[in-house]
Amino acid sequence: MWKKCKRYTFLYGKYFSNHLKVMMEYKADFFIGLFSVMVQQFTALFFLKIVFDHIEVLKGWTFYEILFIYAIAFLGRSIHHIFFDNLWTLGWQYIRSGNFDRLLLRPVNPLFQIVAERVQQDGFGQLIIGGIVLTIASVNLEIEWTVQSLLLLFVFIISSGVLFVAINLFFITFSFWMVDSLPIVVSVFQLSEFAKYPLTIYPKAVTLIITWLIPYGFTAYYPATYFFERESMVAMALITPAIAVLSFVIAYWFWNKGIRAFTSTGS
Amino acid sequence: MRKYLELLKSQIKVETAYLAWYWADVVSTLLRLVIMYFFWVAVFQNRTEISSISFESMITYVVIAMMLENYVSGAGNEMARNIKNGDIALELLKPYDYLTKLIFMDLGSKANSFVRTTIPIFLVANIFIGIQAPVSFEVAILFLASMLVGILIGTQIDLIIGVLAFWTVNVWGVRVLREAIVKFFSGALIPLTLFPGWFQEVSSFLPFQSMIFVPVAIYTGQINMGPDALIAFATQLFWLAVLFVVVRVVWTQAVKKVTVFGG
Repeated sequence: MWKKCKRYTFLYGKYFSNHLKVMMEYKADFFIGLFSVMVQQFTALFFLKIVFDHIEVLKGWTFYEILFIYAIAFLGRSIHHIFFDNLWTLGWQYIRSGNFDRLLLRPVNPLFQIVAERVQQDGFGQLIIGGIVLTIASVNLEIEWTVQSLLLLFVFIISSGVLFVAINLFFITFSFWMVDSLPIVVSVFQLSEFAKYPLTIYPKAVTLIITWLIPYGFTAYYPATYFFERESMVAMALITPAIAVLSFVIAYWFWNKGIRAFTSTGS
Repeated sequence: MRKYLELLKSQIKVETAYLAWYWADVVSTLLRLVIMYFFWVAVFQNRTEISSISFESMITYVVIAMMLENYVSGAGNEMARNIKNGDIALELLKPYDYLTKLIFMDLGSKANSFVRTTIPIFLVANIFIGIQAPVSFEVAILFLASMLVGILIGTQIDLIIGVLAFWTVNVWGVRVLREAIVKFFSGALIPLTLFPGWFQEVSSFLPFQSMIFVPVAIYTGQINMGPDALIAFATQLFWLAVLFVVVRVVWTQAVKKVTVFGG
């Protein structure tokens, strides 16, 4: 197990250093991508700011509370975007083109190969903006940080990233049966937009769906409320890591099922 | 003209070939609409208006703007792709005007957009949300004209972005940037009248508000019928003419670059 870990870490390092070389080759690209993604995030924030210039609270939520939720969503999403972006391309870049067979021939986990084959540098823009927004929001909310709460925040952000990965992995796996399930993934991903706002603004049915069916609610809203000084849903926040792990396990189990279905039709 | 119409038709066929994408577009659009609706309901909780815009008027603005947003881009993507993979050299040899071809293919895409996004939005907005109708027949006519000009302006801006692919390899980044800027300044998300004064000042000198804000504001009555509306419409026409010329100039420069590369 330890040996395997070491080998995969080594391999990822190799892939990563190759990416760095490519990135440095096209420096302008890197900065255009970084800048564009930051502007894009900024648009969403500016929109919120304009609205809050005219109102004080949004159904009981203040501007900085919503910013804080946004920030956690940005950070979780950026983890997914930087390291796992290649998942989107499973259908058209691997299965349709027959590239997936190439991955199966190697003695390395195919999911690892797909993930490692691309680092999406534009995601760093999201990471930067997320960090800035989080700082601004927590200063204004006067959150008292302790080692314990910072650690918890870190765990929440990682969980958020894992959730994005798990949900995408689950739905992209359908590609093994239908060649390319990207349209489904894109539709489902659209649901994550709901999670940007406090879930209390939606009717019960919507909240239930993005909490228990497709758990985007845990990518930002539930963990964020933990840090607000009001009777928040502490329990919901604290089960976030468990939900993330569970989702990933389900998605990975489904993925393996998909691979088996795929290989059996291949010959 | 005939050949361009054929291109338009073939584009419609290509896009409808992927039924899964059709449903994905419909679903995504409706989800966006739902989020938007509940967001605004929450904003209007405990108040009847925001800087003298009523809830009904705001929702009407947002929904119409959402419909238009799907039409203000597209043509540049194909161009950027052609440039990136080198097909552009072949395209230039073909017996049609490349820019006109793109515009017609784009119209084909937009016909699809109409089915995939406008109709679902329109149906849901009418059945569940309830949006206002234009106050008069003249408003409706001017809205349609203004909308058309707005769409054409969007296409020209998109083509400029497409041409940029000659200089920047990363077209994706530039496209994200364009999307963000357009969303910002066009009034796609929120009426520009809610923005701070300085922002309105800046955007009044830019072509973007002609794309979405002007037509929608004519529809919702934020721009009054009469001289105001006519001036706004004239400004749109002005921008369309300017951008049309700019695209052709930038394009000619870019094509020279291709010939240089070609040796």
